[in-house]
Amino acid sequence: MTASRTGALPRVNRPTETLRMLVPQTLIHTKRLLMRWYRDPLTVMQALVFPALLLVMLNSVLGKQVSSFAGDNALYGSVPMIALVSVMSGSLAGAVTLGRERGEGLLARFWVLPVHRASGLLSRVVAEGVRIVLCTLVIFAVGVALGFRFTQGPLAALALFAVPLVYGLGFATMVTALAVYTAKAALVESVSLGSSMLMFFSTGFVPLTAYPAWAKPIVANNPLTHAIDTMRGLALGGPVGAPLLATLAWSLGAIALFAMPAAYGFRRASRY
Amino acid sequence: MPEFATTGPIAHDGSVHISDEPVTGHDLSATGALGQWWVLARRLIRPSWRTGEILTAILAPVAFTVGFYVPLNLVMTVYGHGLSSYAQFLMPMIVMQAVSFCAIAAAFRSATDARDGIDIRFATLPMPRWVPLAARITAAAQRSVIAIAAALVCGALIGFRFYGSWWHTLGFLAFALLIAIALCCGADLIGSVSSSPEATTQVLVLPQLILGMVSTGFAPADQFPGWIQSYARNQPVSQFVNGLRALAGDSTGNAGVVDLATLGPGLAWAGGILVFCGALAWSHAVRRTG
Repeated sequence: MTASRTGALPRVNRPTETLRMLVPQTLIHTKRLLMRWYRDPLTVMQALVFPALLLVMLNSVLGKQVSSFAGDNALYGSVPMIALVSVMSGSLAGAVTLGRERGEGLLARFWVLPVHRASGLLSRVVAEGVRIVLCTLVIFAVGVALGFRFTQGPLAALALFAVPLVYGLGFATMVTALAVYTAKAALVESVSLGSSMLMFFSTGFVPLTAYPAWAKPIVANNPLTHAIDTMRGLALGGPVGAPLLATLAWSLGAIALFAMPAAYGFRRASRY
Repeated sequence: MPEFATTGPIAHDGSVHISDEPVTGHDLSATGALGQWWVLARRLIRPSWRTGEILTAILAPVAFTVGFYVPLNLVMTVYGHGLSSYAQFLMPMIVMQAVSFCAIAAAFRSATDARDGIDIRFATLPMPRWVPLAARITAAAQRSVIAIAAALVCGALIGFRFYGSWWHTLGFLAFALLIAIALCCGADLIGSVSSSPEATTQVLVLPQLILGMVSTGFAPADQFPGWIQSYARNQPVSQFVNGLRALAGDSTGNAGVVDLATLGPGLAWAGGILVFCGALAWSHAVRRTG
């Protein structure tokens, strides 16, 4: 018994690319990614602490002025907006981790092991989903402490949490597709500049009427605006259908457009 | 006993020819030190122009102006801020933002040099210990001048004007540069002590956020919640902003009077940071151990 345990290494003598192996292996990979995020204080800071502080600051500095301009509490715009921004910056951190793992040869190492080929990419999607829900919960907890309320009942509140999930997965697919093909430094800078510009030109920051005429079409068609309007409607009341459809169109569109490049790029990144 | 260079040609029998010229001596003279400072400063300045790093110094105030002025102009004008236009009110904050991005870049630079062992390498070379520090601050000052110029162009485009006399305008520029150098000096120190570029830039974003947002740069202090008002009124960024706002002046005359009461606290903060961090950075640079 002891001899067999220390002597022969475990052997793979059956096919590993089976659907039965995919689920447990994906879970192991997911756990690995989540542990890695959790143990990196910088990532936690970037994805949770920084957005939470930004929300508190925005509310104390500009909350009063924007509320009086908009007619209802500015938190119903800023809480969804910050939740989505934290989801985006978390995805960016994930993309950087992916680039680093490719550079260190970890992806190539997994590729030669008897691990289901799909579990690498699938686990990233699952880990991303878990992280998005976690980020959203934290930001909304801070929002509730500041005065944000779910006035439309528990079902609407539950639906509200699905919005960042769909939006975040769409964004993550795009960032992953970019990360597996391009250099990471330029990517991080341009995507974070782009997402902060999305933030400043969305209805979560100030109402649409506050923007000058030239900026109004940009704000109105910003994907962030649609997601924020959906969440505002689900929390405060108001139209939900049209912004929800637009959010779904943007997010599913991004997934449809970038899923194949992301999968091909991931495969390529794993093989060298 | 002078040190000898051991990099002479190796003879056929394997022995190393040892030059009898000491390494130290001429290189440490005043002109030598100045030359070394200029070479090391150029080492930082030239690549920043070539790689487009300097573009960040220009883009930061542009992004800040577009991101805050465009959405907030109408909201703040309706709510009221006390000056002739929100551009006039926000301008000192655009300068502060431009300058603080330069400080973060300075921290990134010094942390990279510390991490890569360049600081230790320089410490073993025959040059005065303050030269690398002076070169980094020079490069940071160069970047700050460009960032402040970009901020002024942004301000002019949205409607900011100087209303004071010409020496008030000159004082505005000098005060902005003094703040920039003080912050870069502090950031350089933090970077070279931490020697982790990613961690340093991440950590410096937080004070920028907390000090920057909770200041009188975006909104007057009396529009803040009561518990935070006295902090917002008296913290260093607000003092810098008050000084710059008074020096820029306004057509309504509400920008503040240019006197010691308005400028004093800001000057004291900038001078204090410069002396304190400068002294610490000096002692850190002069320390011989790696």
